Amino acid sequence: MTLRRAVLPAALLALALWLAAALRLLPPGDWPALPFRAETMALPQVMLAFGLMPRGVIALVAGAALGLSGALIQAVLRNPVADPTTLGISSGAQLALVAATILAPELLAGGRWPVALAGAAGAAALVMAVGARRGFAPVTMVIAGMLVGLTASAVATALTLAQGEYLLSLVIWNGGSLVQQDWSGVRALALVLAAGGAGAALIAKPLRVLSLGAPGAAGLGLNVGLVRLAAMALAVALAAAVSAELGLIGFVGLAAPALARTLGARRMEDVLWSAPLIGALILSVVDGLVLAVAGAGGEMFPAGALTGLIGGPLLLWLLPRLRGSTPPGSEAPEGPAPRLARPGRVLAAMAVAVAAAALLLAWIGRVPGGWAVLDWQSLRDFLPLRLPRLAAAAAAGALLAIAGAVMQRLTANPLASPEVLGVSGGAALGYAAAVFAWGTPAPAITLACTAAGGAGALLAVAVFAARRDMPPERVLLAGIAVSSLAGAVLSALMASGDARAWAILGWLSGSSGQVTPAGAAALAALALAIWIAALAARRWLALMPLGAGVSQGVGLRLGPARLVLIVLAGVGTAAATVLVGPLSFVGLMAPHMARRMGLARPGDHVTGAALTGAGLMLAADFGARMAGFPYELPLGLFATLLGAPWLLFLLMRTTR
Amino acid sequence: MTLFRIAKLSVDVPGRRLLDDVTLDLPAGRMIALIGHNGSGKSTLLRTLARQIAPAAGEVRFEDRPLGQWRPRDYARRLAFLPQHPPPAEGMTVRELVALGRYPWHGAMGRFSAADEAAVAGALDECGLRDLAGRIVDTLSGGERQRAWLAMMVAQAAHALLLDEPISALDIAHQVEVLSLVRRMCHAQGRSAIIVLHDVNMAARFCDHVVALRHGRLAMQGTPADLMRPHTLAAIYGLPMQVLSDAQGRPAALPA
Repeated sequence: MTLRRAVLPAALLALALWLAAALRLLPPGDWPALPFRAETMALPQVMLAFGLMPRGVIALVAGAALGLSGALIQAVLRNPVADPTTLGISSGAQLALVAATILAPELLAGGRWPVALAGAAGAAALVMAVGARRGFAPVTMVIAGMLVGLTASAVATALTLAQGEYLLSLVIWNGGSLVQQDWSGVRALALVLAAGGAGAALIAKPLRVLSLGAPGAAGLGLNVGLVRLAAMALAVALAAAVSAELGLIGFVGLAAPALARTLGARRMEDVLWSAPLIGALILSVVDGLVLAVAGAGGEMFPAGALTGLIGGPLLLWLLPRLRGSTPPGSEAPEGPAPRLARPGRVLAAMAVAVAAAALLLAWIGRVPGGWAVLDWQSLRDFLPLRLPRLAAAAAAGALLAIAGAVMQRLTANPLASPEVLGVSGGAALGYAAAVFAWGTPAPAITLACTAAGGAGALLAVAVFAARRDMPPERVLLAGIAVSSLAGAVLSALMASGDARAWAILGWLSGSSGQVTPAGAAALAALALAIWIAALAARRWLALMPLGAGVSQGVGLRLGPARLVLIVLAGVGTAAATVLVGPLSFVGLMAPHMARRMGLARPGDHVTGAALTGAGLMLAADFGARMAGFPYELPLGLFATLLGAPWLLFLLMRTTR
Repeated sequence: MTLFRIAKLSVDVPGRRLLDDVTLDLPAGRMIALIGHNGSGKSTLLRTLARQIAPAAGEVRFEDRPLGQWRPRDYARRLAFLPQHPPPAEGMTVRELVALGRYPWHGAMGRFSAADEAAVAGALDECGLRDLAGRIVDTLSGGERQRAWLAMMVAQAAHALLLDEPISALDIAHQVEVLSLVRRMCHAQGRSAIIVLHDVNMAARFCDHVVALRHGRLAMQGTPADLMRPHTLAAIYGLPMQVLSDAQGRPAALPA
């Protein structure tokens, strides 16, 4: 199929969808004449001239800007899965805007653009810094970018939650709605697009040289650093402009260049001019569909949520086609971890420390005006209140950590974790389904739905990973794609404005405040059971990291063993996710810390990870209770704030 | 006695036939070299024998039973497989790696018995690793690491060993060391070994029997003496070859 033959029907479809919406509003005879003057028009005419018309145009302009931004990023990084969404740039802009709206509204006096640009540039700089350490290896870049993006979204969600009642409009903006009230947005974006297009035309030739790879291009006399900087600056500015004007519109920048290449654009120049065209059509068709489905009533439904829905599957489809561009060795983990001679003592010390910390945290606390150590009588009064939440937090941390350790060994990948592999995202979808189906579901139903969602997501990734020759990095990316798909569904639900959405939003950032003693006991028992099960499977956990060839060679039935471990990790993650929400990174950090401490054997590793996870979650719980006293902050937010910097630090460590 | 009986075996990947109608008997108790050009299907054949790949057509019988009828554990007790690039054994000591070879005997939950212990100790001795047993595998040199993996196969107590290019990453001294060890394991203990090799001279020098593939089909099989003839080598590699004699009168092949 050639470019021309695909573009024409898409353009006709977009036009037809828009016309259908316009004709539903007003028969063609009553359309206002140019030039538009609002004071002489009837209400439907105003809605058409200053609502629907700019909306149709801005879909084209924004789509083109995103397509160009994605094409530039992919060219400069030589990475077909990079775009403003996967590199965290859009989320950086989003976080900056949310934070400015809540914390420093005066910053927005000069418009939203400077703030959005600062956020986007910050995120891009962070991701590029990570990438520079790893030779801009494509998958590592995208993992870093999606971590930055997920973290920024998590913090933005938590901030939104803390100021909930004021920020419904922000939530809608987060979803990327294309609703317009006048032509100012179109004018501004068109200006940016024109400038961006001119800039792209200027650097098209250097970019083509750069497609040989940095060393080759430098050998031809190209100033590689300057070209990279210019292209990234253009791409970031374009993405930030769209973010500021319309909100998060994911994956158009990913899809447009990919489609352009699929439709036969091979040379750099071809991709650079056809990607904006295709991006414009994608966004127009998507928004036309939103108009057709939602009609006048659900006009607040954001187009961005819909593009997010296509993004995850698209990424999965692209992954197997990503090859040949990775410098060898650049995606290897860091050097060998130490190994303790006597792991038993360290484990015992850790167990004592976690128990002592739990007691201590039950004992001290903040009171109005300072800190207090409880006396005996108050301790007896407070203990039934505090102990369940402490036990539940510790158990959740241990469960996530065990699931993480199991998955890191299962995939032989030190960066695997329930959060990253999409288990948490799937669990979140399961939770949302339970809330929407039952209203206020019983705890057992919630747990079952969450577990089913988590196991389903993990299964999807596992099926994908079972294909031949799929290196662990790709599997990781598949998991992140599932996560982002879940995120898109959730933000679509959120933007529907349904009251139940608030229950989900609250749960997303996690809280241990409402845990009952029975619930805490159940979670602790589950943690114990999962720990014992993982210990029983320790021989599998020793064999799995050696790969399919070795494990099968000694007679391990790989299929059933994988399934058992996946279910183990899925159940553990789901149970913990019900308490702490889907984003915490404890499942990633704790096994890694245990390994860095020198706990090498599978049994020690799992046990050490569980203890570390429990300790981390106790710390997060303490922080969540104390930082905003007397109000309680979400537990998940604190765990994320502890975890994300650590993760980025891990990624930035140079390979030895 | 016959170790493997291969009849009309074909293996496909989407869009390409890797092995095409191969019929072949592999004798037991010998050290057998699998040679051929890049992409000739020698690794594919080995991995099919190890049950890592399913055949598209034809039948393979191991000890007179079709491959599909063996339970994984029983198969692993009879036959051990070493992949081409042994993966990094993160944080594992040599002894722990070798002990993994006992998996088909004790299973996921079974006790690590005195017999298992003895097998591990014997394997460490046989491969000259007794002094290195406590070392971390990833800190060993290439030759030592390869010996550790061989010891794991010995601990598995299998009578047939499948090795996929075990010397491709080693210098010449370690190549000789590893192949000598495999030869000793075969001839002293009555094991069979099937080894994918790139180097014709190493194959001729260490192996008892040679199987050559070309474009997924059987090109020749026979003794090293059958192999080391200019026109045979030319037929296998598609390149004129000459065969010289070294100081001890052993043949050495070179491109002509």
